[in-house]
Amino acid sequence: MAHRERLPRDEARLRDEARAFLAENVPSAADLPRSLDARIEALRGWQARCYRAGYVGRAWPREFGGGGRPPVEQIVVDQELAAAGAPEFVNVVGLDVLGPSLLRFGTERQRQRHIGAILDATQIWCQGFSEPEAGSDLASLRTRAVLKDGHFVLSGQKTWVSWGQFARWCGVLARTEGPGRPRHQGISMLIVDMDSPGVDVRPMTQITGHAEFCELFFDDVLVPEENLLSNRGDGWKIAMYTLGHERGTAALPRQVKLRTWLDRLAAALGDRALDGRALLDDPGAQIALAQAMIGIEVLRYHAQRTVGDFLSGGAVGPESSSVKLLMAEAEQRLAATAVELLGPAMEQADPAEHDEDAFWEETYLYSRAASVYGGTRQIQRNIIADRVLALPQE
Amino acid sequence: MELELTKEQSWISESVDTLLSREWVAPADIISASAERQRRTWTALVEFGALGIGDEGELGAVELCLIARALGSHLASVPFLGSAAVRLALAPQARSLPAGMGALVSGQDAIGIAVLEAGSGWTAERAGTRLARGSDGLEIRGEKVTIEQLAAAGQLAVVATLDGEPAVAVTPADAAGLTRRPQRCFDETVLMGTARFDAVPVPGGSVLGGPEARTVLRRLMTAGSLLAAAEAVGAAGHILDLACRYAGQRRQFGRTIGSFQALRHILADAYVRQESGWSAVRYAAAALDDGDPEAARAASIAKAYVSRGAREVAHSAMQVFGGIAFTAEHPAHRFLRRISVRAQQFGDAAHHERRLGRELAERAARSRAGGTA
Repeated sequence: MAHRERLPRDEARLRDEARAFLAENVPSAADLPRSLDARIEALRGWQARCYRAGYVGRAWPREFGGGGRPPVEQIVVDQELAAAGAPEFVNVVGLDVLGPSLLRFGTERQRQRHIGAILDATQIWCQGFSEPEAGSDLASLRTRAVLKDGHFVLSGQKTWVSWGQFARWCGVLARTEGPGRPRHQGISMLIVDMDSPGVDVRPMTQITGHAEFCELFFDDVLVPEENLLSNRGDGWKIAMYTLGHERGTAALPRQVKLRTWLDRLAAALGDRALDGRALLDDPGAQIALAQAMIGIEVLRYHAQRTVGDFLSGGAVGPESSSVKLLMAEAEQRLAATAVELLGPAMEQADPAEHDEDAFWEETYLYSRAASVYGGTRQIQRNIIADRVLALPQE
Repeated sequence: MELELTKEQSWISESVDTLLSREWVAPADIISASAERQRRTWTALVEFGALGIGDEGELGAVELCLIARALGSHLASVPFLGSAAVRLALAPQARSLPAGMGALVSGQDAIGIAVLEAGSGWTAERAGTRLARGSDGLEIRGEKVTIEQLAAAGQLAVVATLDGEPAVAVTPADAAGLTRRPQRCFDETVLMGTARFDAVPVPGGSVLGGPEARTVLRRLMTAGSLLAAAEAVGAAGHILDLACRYAGQRRQFGRTIGSFQALRHILADAYVRQESGWSAVRYAAAALDDGDPEAARAASIAKAYVSRGAREVAHSAMQVFGGIAFTAEHPAHRFLRRISVRAQQFGDAAHHERRLGRELAERAARSRAGGTA
């Protein structure tokens, strides 16, 4: 990708096609059922429709059902999806985290078996990484898997499992090696069938009121040995690959989404008045809005500059940590600005503005997680201190 | 690490760095650099081709920002900013410009930019300095302040009003009726000056008025913002390097201080600010080179972001240095001073945020009007 968004002709055509498709097909908030189960079904349908149109897994290998196109094309499409306000794909964990790991580390059989079903959302995936006692310190995880008679016997507890209650498969990090190995090398990645006996899923209600996270309990779950991803002891390496992948490529569609939110905020500030003056006409509000906009734009410029490495086939490097930090900062600033500026008007609780208020309240609450999930702000700073600045280790 | 530069751009960046390592002094010594040393460094830069802008040359905004970044990193004291910004502002119209101005672009004179007046901000719209008709044609009357490198400038680009409208005039810095005085500055190495114009005559070929003047002035503000920001990023990058090196050597409590998480995190944040600041400058410079209508907005974003961010980097570095940074001989304050001056020039962060905020509000109002129509 060029440094700026001067798209080559092919990519410009793709962008226009995607834009036209989305204008016709994006379900509105009102189109989606309120009940969670029905909603998930509708979202599966949405992802499948996009997949059939060529907008999901566009850069994944053709032989497994992908589009076989250059990675930049998926980024073009993802930015259009964000701009159109399309609902997030229900199999986001499969698409962003486990799918890329399967493609990179999986056997031919594993890839044949799973990739197609990830792409069209017939099988939803979740990730079992974090544990109650292993958050930022992921390598201290305690979930164990012992190989016995051709099966790993898996026991332990996982948490923050997005869409665990709807998932058919889970990528689980478990300790398979004895205490003799350094702790990072004792971890393996297992592909666990969520329908197996001994798997217990308990949804957790988040501060936003939704229950998209679950806790998972594994009680001597039998996992066939063939469901090991890569080799025993490779789990840490795979987890770092997937997290870096997520950090490196998510920023461009994310900044598009943030720009749509910024426009939405400006519109809301124009709609509402306080003491007879539109909130948007207040110079203080305009400056706060500009500062939020600057954060989003700089995220865009920086992500475009750093993603070049990834697109030219390189691994996602430690630069992805600076993108991740800017992404959290931009999102949190925008959301906090919205709540601060709309605050007085939100307190008036005009019923006509209920949905808009609820959107900003939820966006604000969820934004606080942006500097926690996928490696906390502090972990990202440590990565930069170690790997970019080469400062002495703690 | 330099992502996404062409080979030629990397070459320019490295060459200017090498040139400055050879010709210029260490940051700790800049206060004692002689006028002769300043002239020599400037001559070397001009011979290298640092003013090769417009028809003859090949340098666009991206390349000029790379040069400015290197100058900032070395804290060089040369009349580059004004010389490059004026040429960059005039270059697209070089063919249709009055003769005197066209010659300025292709010439090798150092140019000083005279925008500010006592009590004025960085809006070129309402200059008190006037172009009035005298017996022999137009004359400049008024007083300008905070003209960088005034003593070294061969030519001055003066923002004035002509018949109540914004105009730009160019005059030799030693013209009759022009009195130059040094002016105190927070960074004394940028060599600010004031200029009084007592009916300084300007030939008709050296005045630009009307809509063309507005276009050139807008472009001058955009180019100046970017070059100032690029210099600040360069200065921030250097002081950050020094702080990282220091953190890797200095020992307290029996440990290298760079192993303390509190300092590691300060430096990591400073790194993100500095690198993303360069991304912003780089993007806006490429937009300007492409003739993108959004270039002015991107430059405002970069200037606002870097004006705050580069200062933050300097503050962080000084915190890591601790007490030693507060001795006059330590270079830390030299970087802080340079960054502070660049943060002000062509509008500080607040100036650009106000402007961007107003534009956002206007755009939202327009789309409301469009939506209800």
